[in-house]
Amino acid sequence: MEGGLEAAARPERTDVRQLGADTSIRARPCGDTTLLVDRAGRFIRGEPALAARIAEGALTEADAAWLRARGLLPGSELERLAFTYARERRRAAPGPLDYLILVPTLRCNLACSYCQVSRAAEGAKGFDWSDATLDAVRTRVAALTAPAIKIEFQGGEPTLRTDLIAAVIDAVPRTVEARFVICTNLQRLDDDILALFDRDDVAISTSLDGPLALHARQRQGDTPAAERFHANLRLLLARYGPGKISALPTINPHAPPDVDALIDSFARLGFDSIYLRPINYQGFARKRHPASRDAGADWRAYHAAFVRRLIARNWADRDKLLEESYFSLLLRRIFRPGEDRHVDLRNPNPVGRDYIVIDHDGRAYPTDEARMLTRSGVIDLAIGDVHHGWDTPARAALEAAATNDGDPACEACAYQPFCGRDLIDDIARYGRIDGPRGDTDFCRRHLHLFDLAFELIHSPDPAVQYSLRRWLGLAGETGALVAP
Amino acid sequence: MIALHLPARSDADAPFVTRLAAARSADEAESFCLSSASGRSLWCGMHGLFELDHAREELIGDILLVDPGAGRAERLIRAGSRHNSLLVTEQCDQLCLMCSQPPKKAHHDRFAHFEAACRLAASGSVIGLTGGEPTLHLEPLLAMLERLLGDRPDLAFHILSNGQHFDAENVARLTGRLRTNIVWGIPLYAADALLHDRIVGKPGAFERLTESLAHLLTAGARIELRTVLLRDNLGTLGGLARFVALYLSHIEQWSLMGLENIGFARRRWDDLHIDLRTEFAPVAAALDQASLHGIPARLFNIPLCHIPPAFRSFAVASISDWKQRFAPACGRCAARSDCAGFFEWHPDHLVEEVVPL
Repeated sequence: MEGGLEAAARPERTDVRQLGADTSIRARPCGDTTLLVDRAGRFIRGEPALAARIAEGALTEADAAWLRARGLLPGSELERLAFTYARERRRAAPGPLDYLILVPTLRCNLACSYCQVSRAAEGAKGFDWSDATLDAVRTRVAALTAPAIKIEFQGGEPTLRTDLIAAVIDAVPRTVEARFVICTNLQRLDDDILALFDRDDVAISTSLDGPLALHARQRQGDTPAAERFHANLRLLLARYGPGKISALPTINPHAPPDVDALIDSFARLGFDSIYLRPINYQGFARKRHPASRDAGADWRAYHAAFVRRLIARNWADRDKLLEESYFSLLLRRIFRPGEDRHVDLRNPNPVGRDYIVIDHDGRAYPTDEARMLTRSGVIDLAIGDVHHGWDTPARAALEAAATNDGDPACEACAYQPFCGRDLIDDIARYGRIDGPRGDTDFCRRHLHLFDLAFELIHSPDPAVQYSLRRWLGLAGETGALVAP
Repeated sequence: MIALHLPARSDADAPFVTRLAAARSADEAESFCLSSASGRSLWCGMHGLFELDHAREELIGDILLVDPGAGRAERLIRAGSRHNSLLVTEQCDQLCLMCSQPPKKAHHDRFAHFEAACRLAASGSVIGLTGGEPTLHLEPLLAMLERLLGDRPDLAFHILSNGQHFDAENVARLTGRLRTNIVWGIPLYAADALLHDRIVGKPGAFERLTESLAHLLTAGARIELRTVLLRDNLGTLGGLARFVALYLSHIEQWSLMGLENIGFARRRWDDLHIDLRTEFAPVAAALDQASLHGIPARLFNIPLCHIPPAFRSFAVASISDWKQRFAPACGRCAARSDCAGFFEWHPDHLVEEVVPL
């Protein structure tokens, strides 16, 4: 046998057996067949025996022709370049900073059982931006160069400080197209808050855990507070319609709500897009929901049931299209190289480049989860601060590891081209980032999600194809997504 | 139809390019109007007096090539139009079944005039270069573009080419503004080499085209892929869509285009034309394949009412103003301003087949 170096140095591609050794196609069981995926994310289902011949580098002439006709074995110069182009396009290349999460105050008028941020009491002192911090935030916002930006106000409860929100909005340069999101618990609405909400460039994001009783149970067990939330939500829906408002449920995987009851509680209010999140292993949740560290199997089963139920409901009522937004994102990533604006799912996952979180004390974090973890006292993941910036050794250290490249488990995985890397989640759960990748919750969760996605993509059921097409934004309602 | 050629009289010795201005200016490239009455206008500039058989108003800002010998003026670049294109040559090395502008043997080199006209174009103009096949004269074409974009980085060009003449050497010149400010409109009719070759009337064309596309990809050139919808390729559009998704995902746009009833298509209309009102399914499947893989696809030259509602967002009001036509019934259509309408030369009996929206 020739050495690997020698083989790689020889560009001739005449011997098909050698071709087989060289394709970098990876396999994953998919029903009775095997899913074959190249490093550009192009995929096809084939016989398990073919996957074995690929692994052994023992392709027959017929195998090679079959694979080439399906785009998995580049032959011509154009085919080789297109493969390289698609592969590289799947790599996240961050642009200028265009997504800011700002925490003007850590104070909150609720104390939810799963609160992820170690919030401060409503009347507490020293948990809001100082004047100097506000000035520094405004200076950074005024210096933004991206043509379009998004600024999300988190808390705490940011509507306790509408003055700070307005001051930030006011600092955006006229030349920049800005969208703002205010994340609020909707406990209180007043004229100042409504004046902000009334702006066309402001969207509202809130948590809705499902039916009222469940919502109350997860939020400090306070039914009047939950009723207040529902009344305010309905008021805003009447005032703006559902398009301006997004609601996110937080699910306890060990006691999840009935799937239909949860869907109904959203659909009834006009929310068609549901981002199903398990309780994050963060903040208060670490203490009060210790089991959330390994929520794995329960969560995966619940999520799959949820997606299948959405499919059934979409098929039964064609006038209403419901989706689980993270699953839709996954589908888009499978088919579309370059779909990598979701910061929890991209590779590499640049740290503190196009996305930053500024806390109430002016410290800068790569993600909101990193902020929560720091506040919980687990590890300090601040990468800088708003005054001095975040081009720091801490940022560089995180960024160097924020990739699934080179990890033995990821390199062997068929889903690598579609997957990402979430360092902070590994740190939160395991206190380290160098454990066997396949043992992480992130990996198990995404294996499940991709397995489900590829099962559905290849499903002959017209109901499944209908929902997938709609989730992918295709105009036509019928026909298989991929050749059988 | 908007007239692009005007009868003209001038005593100048040779053809010249000038921009028509409302008033006298210090700009030597401009001519200004002395008088205008009953469909004629008299102009004055560095090349003396000249008269045009056209009223003054619609001509202000136009850039003209006045040819005294031929007794005519050509409106090379019309002010305010998004559809200005310059005919580089009428020669072509393909012979497409439906060619709208059948090739001619002779070539009249007009690069000097085109260059002069482009230099007078308004800031930010997008100028089309067409043929025939412009890249049959690739050396002077690239030289002109290098000079123009060196001096006028605000200009952009859209160049129609059959992609038969790109190689490593000439594509290496597509750097800087020649990369960013040029979109190459390149036709591909089928993923099957023999079918593509048959449609373009040139054996080996597909093979040579894919070679060119590889060179252009290496250069990072901007590409608009163009596919005319024909009876011949309708059934294989799905395969073409997969080919585009697999190997041409870098293109800026895939344009699926309705047939133009002109040139060769005129005598082959019944063989080539597809009635999309009844045969949209293959087009729909191709558009869905393209969307699935994030390829921006668009439908050109097809009236909105011939397209199923779910696919109307793909349609572009594409037909150039000077050759656009509507049916009488289109007058009460709410979507008319967003609609391509028909080509001026669309078969009369088919123009009537509209459903006002």
